[in-house]
Amino acid sequence: MAPKKKEEPKPAAPAAPKPPEPEPPKVPEFDPTSVTLEFTPEQIEDFKDAFQLFDRTPTSEMKITYAQCGDLIRALGQNPTNAEIMHVLGKPKPEDMQTKMLDFDQFLPIHQHICRAKDRGTFEDFVEGLRVFDKEGNGTVMGAELRHVLATLGEKMREDEVEQLMQNQEDANGCINYEAFVKYLLSS
Amino acid sequence: MGLLVVSISEYNCSNWIFFVSAIKAAVLIQRWYRQYVARTEMRRRYTWHIFQSIEYSGEQAQIKLYNFLGYLMDNFTPSSNERNLISHIFRENEVCRDAEWERYFSYENIEVPDIYSGPHLTFPLTVEQAFGLVEAFRNKKQQLHSRYVLQLLLETWKLLRMLPNISRISTCHSKEITICGDLHGQLEDLLLIFYKNGMPSLENPYVFNGDFVDRGRDSIEILLILFSFLILYPGDVHLNRGNHEDHIVNLRYGFTKEVLTKYKLHGKRILKLLQKIFSWLPLATVIDQKVLVLHGGISDTTDLSILTRLDRHTYISALRPPKKRHMSSATASIDSDMDDDIWSANRMSQRRASLTYPKPIGTKECFHNRSLQDFSERIRANIEALEMCKRQVHAHAQAQDQAQAQAQTNSPISSSDVDSVSLSCESIRSYTAKDEWRQILDLLWSDPMTQDGCIPNEVRGGGCYWGPDITEDFLLRHNLQLIIRSHECKQDGYEFCHNRKVLTLFSASNYYDVGSNRGAYVKMGPDLVPLVFQYQASNMTRELTVRQRLRSALKVLREQLFAHKSDLMSAFKKFDSDNTGFVPLNDWASAVESVMHLDLPWRMLRCQLVTCKTTSDGMIDYYEWFSELAIKGHKDTDHIDQSLLETLYRHRSTLETIFRMVDTDNSGFITIEDFRQTWKLLSVYLKMEITDEAISDIAVTIDSNQDGSIDIDEFMEAFRLTDKKSRLERGRSMFMVTATDLTKLEGDPNI
Repeated sequence: MAPKKKEEPKPAAPAAPKPPEPEPPKVPEFDPTSVTLEFTPEQIEDFKDAFQLFDRTPTSEMKITYAQCGDLIRALGQNPTNAEIMHVLGKPKPEDMQTKMLDFDQFLPIHQHICRAKDRGTFEDFVEGLRVFDKEGNGTVMGAELRHVLATLGEKMREDEVEQLMQNQEDANGCINYEAFVKYLLSS
Repeated sequence: MGLLVVSISEYNCSNWIFFVSAIKAAVLIQRWYRQYVARTEMRRRYTWHIFQSIEYSGEQAQIKLYNFLGYLMDNFTPSSNERNLISHIFRENEVCRDAEWERYFSYENIEVPDIYSGPHLTFPLTVEQAFGLVEAFRNKKQQLHSRYVLQLLLETWKLLRMLPNISRISTCHSKEITICGDLHGQLEDLLLIFYKNGMPSLENPYVFNGDFVDRGRDSIEILLILFSFLILYPGDVHLNRGNHEDHIVNLRYGFTKEVLTKYKLHGKRILKLLQKIFSWLPLATVIDQKVLVLHGGISDTTDLSILTRLDRHTYISALRPPKKRHMSSATASIDSDMDDDIWSANRMSQRRASLTYPKPIGTKECFHNRSLQDFSERIRANIEALEMCKRQVHAHAQAQDQAQAQAQTNSPISSSDVDSVSLSCESIRSYTAKDEWRQILDLLWSDPMTQDGCIPNEVRGGGCYWGPDITEDFLLRHNLQLIIRSHECKQDGYEFCHNRKVLTLFSASNYYDVGSNRGAYVKMGPDLVPLVFQYQASNMTRELTVRQRLRSALKVLREQLFAHKSDLMSAFKKFDSDNTGFVPLNDWASAVESVMHLDLPWRMLRCQLVTCKTTSDGMIDYYEWFSELAIKGHKDTDHIDQSLLETLYRHRSTLETIFRMVDTDNSGFITIEDFRQTWKLLSVYLKMEITDEAISDIAVTIDSNQDGSIDIDEFMEAFRLTDKKSRLERGRSMFMVTATDLTKLEGDPNI
């Protein structure tokens, strides 16, 4: 008799509970040519400046690597998830990230698409998000719990990244007043 | 995955909802975090960019000073008024013979008082004493007594005189050689290197690649340590000259002030001796005949054989052409001074044969845009210039026939003689002199660039930018395989370029500001593969955040913008032909770049630099912007014309340097008369309308105690741009080091 395996993997049937990661809604592959650019000329000049700052090619060819693309978009004020970035880049392989390059014209539709996305996340969303961890409903969360969550769930952060974020935020009891925390993060 | 599925099925509904919300929250925070990191990185980059651009344009100001001095020398006939001032400025005060040098620098009659608790040196120096010196500087923050300083410097000088222009060393016996870049008075970095890598010794040879002084606070201590080890291990410690081993540069960048402050009694002598020592520093080092180590770089004409042959010590400053010795003055010793009368015909013709620009510089534009390259290019005999020369020579010859016969010349000069002499002398000596000078200038000031070719280094105002093809050609010609140079600050402390054939090495960490960059040094064994080691000195001071650093960079930038107000105004007016007072953002950015030439991302900086509101359609009110930037001197200066203030402000570092040169006894004061004359000269040069009255106004304002003399520091302080937001931060950033900061250092009166 086969030993009973409690943890018998079941195929993911539609009736099964949703998988833990909130998968982005199934979208077709990203097609840059389908994007109409709505930026003003001033905005485009601004983006060019920023693009140039990120350009590390030895001959200033106005190209950045795939890996830099997400950073540039974020530096320009958007806050996409890593999954969204991968999507607009056409789901590149990990080894492509440092080697494949984008020029400015290829970058624009990508950026435009990200800019259009709703659900940017406001101050309230952020606070609400943190409130989930506020067990006692007193405006504070446990620093340790937050660290654990950030490092293990969602688009995981590395330990040093978590450390950088949470540096000097916890009080003597290891608690964080999250409204203040959010204000601090958003003001930088 | 499977485990999770089963676990979830065990959860009841509310736990599951919590779980999903937790993940959503986590993702949100993570997104925001990543955005924060990216924006911080962006800011860090353009802060760096700002500091670097301003540093280089600051060096350009140094060249402008040189231009001004050249202009003075070329254009002022001895009228009673300006002559005194000018000879004041140029009087070198040099002593003539070697014997006199010894006497001048004699340390024997300097007493070391009993209360002096610092290190005592005896010669010949021992290793223990050198270590003791390092300890004294590190732990007890003591200063070496001036008697020992002079003694040490004299021994150093004697040694350096025997060294060739280019040191050739080898890594035989599996010795690894350590090479360090710019230190710029940052003692902590040198100590950190010694800590990580060991002190110099027979088994641990070092090459220090120039720029030991200026900007940092402990330049003299670094020199004393390096010289001690040099004396101890002359075959294993090698020093290359940098562009900051130059007394004119030191006047501006802090080393002169540091020495005068720390050594109130004997500072001048120490500086004079250092002037000679700097000129005797070797120019480059070659390792195993394959690796060339020099401070700045090369150009398309760099030729190691010329560099090996020339008399390096005649180039006291790379910013001034060498004094030409008249061929026949056999009586002069190596370091003799020319006669004091700089208006003698001799001088005139010799100067024609040297490198300065024969024609008056004239316009305001030239003052700002001139580079040293223009000097060396215009050496072709200009008929006009020769005519002028002849006329003046003739006048002098008539007046001073006798005097000249006795002076260090070979015969009384008649105008026809001068014609032929100067023409022929010019063609021969001019080539050699120009060539040699250019070799040294390029060696000390050049920077690599990514494009092929060789172009003048307009940013620094001296040396050139050289490309990978030049490197390739140079290495081939001289049978070398690598160039190691310094001169440029790099974020990681080092950077390879030109196909890894050029390595830039910078050893002053946190150079622009705390946290701005690491320092690095390189170890190289017989395989000649450079191994890089990085470090970063951590300060007692709080680490500045990127935001704080940005704020100090912006402050400096605002000052620069203010200093160019009138040019900016004209540029804006060009875009605003209807004179509405508004320009669109894009035009604002182009106008600013066209005036400032700093190649900065102006649009990105706009929200930091322009705090007055822009209109809804993105137009900037430039008049309002200027009033934001306006200089606020002390209240008494309100009546002084704004444009005069602006000029004063723009040229303040040049002015300060000139004042300090005029202040020959280093009292910190100059007479009102000197002040007036300096201004007059500057205004003629700049083709500015500035009335005697206006100058007197300023002079009177500054001479608050009405005693006929002006406190240089007070003068500079009065016209400093005050920032509403933050007081000047006392930091180690070079922009912050001014006279007032350094005079706050306590000097031991007994030293």
